[in-house]
Amino acid sequence: MASSVAQKRLFHEYKNLSTNPPEGITAGPVSEDDMFYWEALIEGPGDTPFEGGVFAAELKFPKDYPLSPPTMKFVGGGVWHPNVYPNGTVCISILHPPGDDPNHYEHASERWSPIQSVEKILISVMSMLAEPNDESPANVEAAKMWRERRSEYEQKVRDEVRKGLGL
Amino acid sequence: MEQSFDLPDSTDWLDTPLSLLAPLESSLRCQVCKDFFDNPVITSCSHTFCSLCIRRCLSTEGKCPTCRSGDQELKLRRNWLVQEILEAFKNARDSTLTLAKREAARIAAGDKGIRDPAPKKRKVGHVEQEEEVEVAHRSSQRVRTRSQQVNVNVQEPEAEMPEVIEDSQDEEYVPDDGLVACPICDRRMKIEAVNAHLDRCTKDASPAPAPPKQSAFRSLQPQSRRPPISPAKTPDRLPSMNYSLFKEGQLRKKLRDLGIPDWGPRQLLQRRHTEWMNLWNANCDSTTPKGKKELLRELDVWERAQGGHASTSSPFVAHSTVMAKDFDAAQWSANHETDFKRLIANARKKSEAQVRSTIPGASEGSGSSARVDKPAPPASGLDNGAPIEINSRPACSK
Repeated sequence: MASSVAQKRLFHEYKNLSTNPPEGITAGPVSEDDMFYWEALIEGPGDTPFEGGVFAAELKFPKDYPLSPPTMKFVGGGVWHPNVYPNGTVCISILHPPGDDPNHYEHASERWSPIQSVEKILISVMSMLAEPNDESPANVEAAKMWRERRSEYEQKVRDEVRKGLGL
Repeated sequence: MEQSFDLPDSTDWLDTPLSLLAPLESSLRCQVCKDFFDNPVITSCSHTFCSLCIRRCLSTEGKCPTCRSGDQELKLRRNWLVQEILEAFKNARDSTLTLAKREAARIAAGDKGIRDPAPKKRKVGHVEQEEEVEVAHRSSQRVRTRSQQVNVNVQEPEAEMPEVIEDSQDEEYVPDDGLVACPICDRRMKIEAVNAHLDRCTKDASPAPAPPKQSAFRSLQPQSRRPPISPAKTPDRLPSMNYSLFKEGQLRKKLRDLGIPDWGPRQLLQRRHTEWMNLWNANCDSTTPKGKKELLRELDVWERAQGGHASTSSPFVAHSTVMAKDFDAAQWSANHETDFKRLIANARKKSEAQVRSTIPGASEGSGSSARVDKPAPPASGLDNGAPIEINSRPACSK
């Protein structure tokens, strides 16, 4: 049977990511039997409190990908960040379809479009780690801490990173 | 799907001396599906996509995926030059890539002594060959079935076309294939062939022109024969519908009239119609259009790819909710399919066990008729609480 558009496209992306991976990013399907469920590893960007950390996330793709965006969730916890829900779900404009604007602050140009890709999502998430957007925080506590007590925030992030590495 | 890690990709060039061809190949690929352009069309904002890809995007969002300016599928125009470039590139790709890889291997061997990546190369070539063979096989099969059909039903040519639908208003349509139609039987052929054909045609003077001649002619000219056979004969594009103006019954009828499945909830009907319209209109952009059967098969593939027959992953629903997570419902049912199957199997086993235990119970029960009397109607044991208790005991002890 012909595979679906989504599967084929995900295979292309997978191949592209594995032959030509961007720095600090690894991603691929957990099993090649299910192209709609991926795992990604992101290195914490340098010169940020996340530096040195490696963060695992799962990506779930809808059947009508790339018309609709995937969802992304950090697994194993430990990402203390204004734009990451306490359960790990990433809240970033590139993961939101352009049809709606639940947060009323995102420009359509930042949001999902079928020409975006896993690679672009992961790069955006990396830069999100470096530069939080506290306009519409997913984790209010983290956002408050980031805004008002920056050093405490950074310390907490570093602690989490260290915990995540098992140190 | 399993072997598709060998999917040709622009990265194939990266480890070769021709790595500069990677961006060329990448720009010959659709940004939406990442495949080579399939019937490239250009938007009014001058971005090029596969006809089907951009139609799907536009029917979901109404915007160009690249620049997000609004566009309508009516404004899409075919991009012949891109298609030509692409064909030329595709023709040259395999041999160029093989050369480049050989060169890369030679260089690697020169650098590191004997490290021969030839097996890999051969494997890639092998896979491609297989694909080619498969394609050839498939097309030859199609030709064969078609010619069989011709032999079987010796009727007017129209009758063999499974694709003929509502073409009454398209009789005037003349395919632009450089051929002319026989004035008697309406067959299309080269202008030089008309006179010879006319002799035969008038002799037969029947709506059925000699079939063997026909198929021989066909196998000689498969390319030029194709347009009249395919729904190129009905290149009428399907208009988009304002679904809110239609009652569900009307919509269902509309789908039925189009010859596509008409079951399911309203939302699914709309999405199915949209997909059909996209498939159909994209097919109209093709130089070698597919038959309706093939399109119906693609519609079926789409339907199944959407997560079975679930209607929950609708883009319309997705837009009205906070985030596009609704596909979970469909996925959930897919994920838990084995669980469901297991439950069903268990339930079946249980009820079978009950039936089995009631039947022997009834037959062996002659010894202790008192007990048999109690679950007197063994068949009704399923909907009666107490007999189940009694009857299930022997099954458990087994």
